[in-house]
Amino acid sequence: MNWPLAPTDVPIGDGLYAGARECPSSLENLCQLVRDHRAAGSAIYPQGGATALDYGGVPARPGVVIDVRGLDQVIDYPAGDMTITVEAGMTVQRLTALLAAEKQRLPLDIPFADRATLGGAFATAVSGPRRFGWGRPRDQILGIQFVKADGQVVNGGGRVVKNVAGYDFPKLLTGSLGSLGILTQMTLRVRPIPESSAVAFASCPTLEDAAEALERLNLSETRPVALELLNPSAVGWYQSRGLPLISGAWTVVVGLEDNQAAVSWQVEKLREELGSLGAKLEVLSDGHADPAWDALMHFAVQPPGRLTLKVSVRPSEVPNLFGELDSGLWALQAHAGNGIVWCHWIGPSEGNSLADLLPEVDRVRSLAIRGGGTLMIPHCPTPWKERLRVWGEPRSEWPLMARIKETLDPEGVMNPGRFLGTIH
Amino acid sequence: MASATLPAISGSVFEALQADLTAALGADGVLAHLDERLVYECDGYVVEKSVPDLVVFPTSTEEVVAVVKACNKHNVPFVPRGAGTSLAGGTLAVGGGVMICLTRMRRILEINIRDRYAIVEPGVVNVWLTRALAGTGLHYAPDPSSQGACTLGGNVATNSGGPHTLKYGVTVNHVLGVELVLPDGTVVEIGGVTEDAPGYDMAGLVVGNEGTFGIVTRVIVRLSRDPEAGRTFLGVFASVEDSAAAISGIIAAGIVPAALEMLDNLLIRAIEDAFKFGFPTDAGAVLIIETDGLEAGQDREAEAIVKIVEENRGEIRKRIPWRTRTEPDYVAIWKSRKSAFGAIGRLSPSYCTQDGVVPRTKLPEIMRRIQAISKESGLRIGNVFHAGDGNIHPIVLFDERDPKQVERALDASHQILDACIELGGSVTGEHGIGVEKLSFMPKLFAAEDLATMVQIRKVFNPDDRCSPRKMLPTGAGCIEKTHPGRHASA
Ligand SMILES: Cc1cc2nc3c(=O)[nH]c(=O)nc-3n(C[C@H](O)[C@H](O)[C@H](O)COP(=O)(O)OP(=O)(O)OC[C@H]3O[C@@H](n4cnc5c(N)ncnc54)[C@H](O)[C@@H]3O)c2cc1C
Ligand SMILES: Cc1cc2nc3c(=O)[nH]c(=O)nc-3n(C[C@H](O)[C@H](O)[C@H](O)COP(=O)(O)OP(=O)(O)OC[C@H]3O[C@@H](n4cnc5c(N)ncnc54)[C@H](O)[C@@H]3O)c2cc1C
Repeated sequence: MNWPLAPTDVPIGDGLYAGARECPSSLENLCQLVRDHRAAGSAIYPQGGATALDYGGVPARPGVVIDVRGLDQVIDYPAGDMTITVEAGMTVQRLTALLAAEKQRLPLDIPFADRATLGGAFATAVSGPRRFGWGRPRDQILGIQFVKADGQVVNGGGRVVKNVAGYDFPKLLTGSLGSLGILTQMTLRVRPIPESSAVAFASCPTLEDAAEALERLNLSETRPVALELLNPSAVGWYQSRGLPLISGAWTVVVGLEDNQAAVSWQVEKLREELGSLGAKLEVLSDGHADPAWDALMHFAVQPPGRLTLKVSVRPSEVPNLFGELDSGLWALQAHAGNGIVWCHWIGPSEGNSLADLLPEVDRVRSLAIRGGGTLMIPHCPTPWKERLRVWGEPRSEWPLMARIKETLDPEGVMNPGRFLGTIH
Repeated sequence: MASATLPAISGSVFEALQADLTAALGADGVLAHLDERLVYECDGYVVEKSVPDLVVFPTSTEEVVAVVKACNKHNVPFVPRGAGTSLAGGTLAVGGGVMICLTRMRRILEINIRDRYAIVEPGVVNVWLTRALAGTGLHYAPDPSSQGACTLGGNVATNSGGPHTLKYGVTVNHVLGVELVLPDGTVVEIGGVTEDAPGYDMAGLVVGNEGTFGIVTRVIVRLSRDPEAGRTFLGVFASVEDSAAAISGIIAAGIVPAALEMLDNLLIRAIEDAFKFGFPTDAGAVLIIETDGLEAGQDREAEAIVKIVEENRGEIRKRIPWRTRTEPDYVAIWKSRKSAFGAIGRLSPSYCTQDGVVPRTKLPEIMRRIQAISKESGLRIGNVFHAGDGNIHPIVLFDERDPKQVERALDASHQILDACIELGGSVTGEHGIGVEKLSFMPKLFAAEDLATMVQIRKVFNPDDRCSPRKMLPTGAGCIEKTHPGRHASA
């Protein structure tokens, strides 16, 4: 099988196109399609809302898209159990509406909710600011159903909130980026919608002040569910969305969610704790906080330039990393409580080539690795991907991962080329 | 018995292996005499027994590697063991071989308050870490009832839960990484102190593997911020049904308590006898309901809980506001709860504890079924469990001197587990499959699911030399059991 000579109407990301888009309407149908295309020697590219198609390595060989959006039913929603079982093609927006009717929610930050599917969200393990208080996709998934490259359906976990029978396939598949199989159904743990929320922006004149504020917040009397840091260039982006941030400031963002009494108390406490450090506090509450939450989750996935880095370090190293990256060249937002730093390149268009940026990427990568961290590249021009090593340096656990891939997909049918360099 | 299907080790192999292990660990690190090894013939699950051929006590990762390599050289199986509190026979040395006890790897290597993690050796007892963290503002969340004895290595292997994992999550939600000695002797770093390392969630996969992936020699755990304050309530009910309805009511009202535990009359009386906490011995059931968080938010939740308890014909008998968890009433109520099993011995010569899960809205239903099963079998069945999670621990009382009773006890346990499956739940919420529940796996999972699990095990443990015959049925037929457990749990 060859790549299509001309672009088709089925993009698979990185400027490549699939020979066909299959839209199964049932699980049986999906399994049959997987078997047929595999037998025909075709690769299979699972797809949901197509909001993150460029994420990962470059697709390695020609194939078809299996579009999961036709599988979008609620299988079971026992609201009193605070769990829901849904098919993977359901959009995040629809799930949110269903849950809201029972005053519940999935406490994850998934951008572009109107298009993004649950399958895509769990395949990419997308997360945002609330991960500090509520955890990541791995912490919300209880059961999984997926279809392997041989067309077989596999289930793992279950529908109850506590269960240790068998290996934890829900965890293995979350973040597997379609490389082990197509997610078709999942059982999720849901939570009550908190009664109240607030987002506080604490503007600090210097990075050192911001670092001190973060230090203070680590053992704060408040219990933030989000703890973020923005550099002055990122602040500009928030201002452009109409949010009341102070130009030029290093901004610590604290997100609170709880009952009314607990949120108001925390806002007052924050004024005390951060006020004494000289930070200026701007607080948005309840309905007014919603645009702030929305901005906080979309910064990472709206790259203004050609290159975006995602750096993982220890939380205490976040301010140092900010100090190492020129605010004129990089717009930075960190999930500071978790040590995750999103870095968007905003440098001038001259000095914007791979040769210009490679040394900078290498420098930041070695800074990250020195402290036991990692650097991966969520966004860059396709031709740079190999050179920049999208997934970073191999680690001692990679050979095991490669063996898992070989075991579940020996012919390399599922999303070839997308995941770790050692996984084909 | 499972052991019958694996070949025994011959005398010459035994001697050569003993020599290699002694060379690696010193004589002090190897138990070879039968009287010394007899203690290790079983863990908290006493139905099946198999004495390991040798028991070793490595003190470092290097020594674990040396042990594993020696076992490979002589083609002998091995099994890791922590404190041996498993209730599913997880540490049973099926077919003999070498038991690797991790209890001499007992150092807390690092506590990092700013970055909220701790690095420990696998033999560190759960509560040691709790104590080491006292006063820092942080804690390690998973608190199994056996926390005074069980090790963090064992917790990782079984994905332990505890009363407070309802709100804060079980072990897998708090493990950032491990160092794992693979069954071929390779050392792998899985995960680490930073989050989101690219690749599959190997830490997520490794937690709960029940010793079938290799030996965990180091654990990196996440530390959580202490709640500022809380309220602990004792809710008293005339019947189990009413208490179960209250549990469903609390969850459905959108309250996520920090803990929500249920004890029925049988257990109340046993505990009251033992601890004199002031539990009403005429009550049908009590709930221990705990909320925590910021003091400012506590009264609101408290009010809501009191209302739901009263709506379900219950009464709040004790209300313990706390800050430090050292308040005498707080300590007493949790001591009573966590020692519940110790108290059972007063009621019956023998008992067996089950571990099943149902959707929380099905608690009233499973309670009715358990009562029916009790009636039919003529055996008393007590209940003390993690109600908020739907994680039940029915305790079947019997007299092991009467073979008929023994048979009925085993039967009753199995009927309860079947009922859990029927109601959409699971046969284990925290104790694991081990050897005990192998025969239930095909009831929970399809053949393809189990085959895929075997494939994954082979990635780590291709010859099944590490913890053979655990968790996944071999397909060679189920192990027949003639005797239910005696000991207890959670
Ligand atoms: C690093 C990063 C960068 C992102 N960048 C952007 C961005 O630039 N623009 C944007 O709009 N959003 C972006 N997102 C967010 C994206 O909206 C979410 O990850 C979203 O949930 C993806 O859902 P989707 O349905 O659109 O997936 P898709 O974009 O359709 O697929 C994303 C990836 O997941 C796989 N996949 C999808 N569905 C399944 C399934 N059912 N089973 C197995 N594999 C599946 C695909 O093969 C593909 O590799 C980004 C996310 C991350 C983590
Ligand atoms: C009174 C009582 C109360 C209990 N309460 C609870 C409870 O509330 N919640 C709960 O979840 N459990 C509970 N348990 C069960 C048990 O305590 C847990 O499963 C515990 O995690 C076992 O730890 P351990 O150190 O005793 O491990 P062991 O019993 O020694 O081993 C358990 C399993 O882990 C494996 N293992 C041990 N160490 C390692 C290692 N370093 N590397 C790889 N594998 C290893 C073993 O091979 C075995 O499969 C209770 C048990 C008792 C007796």
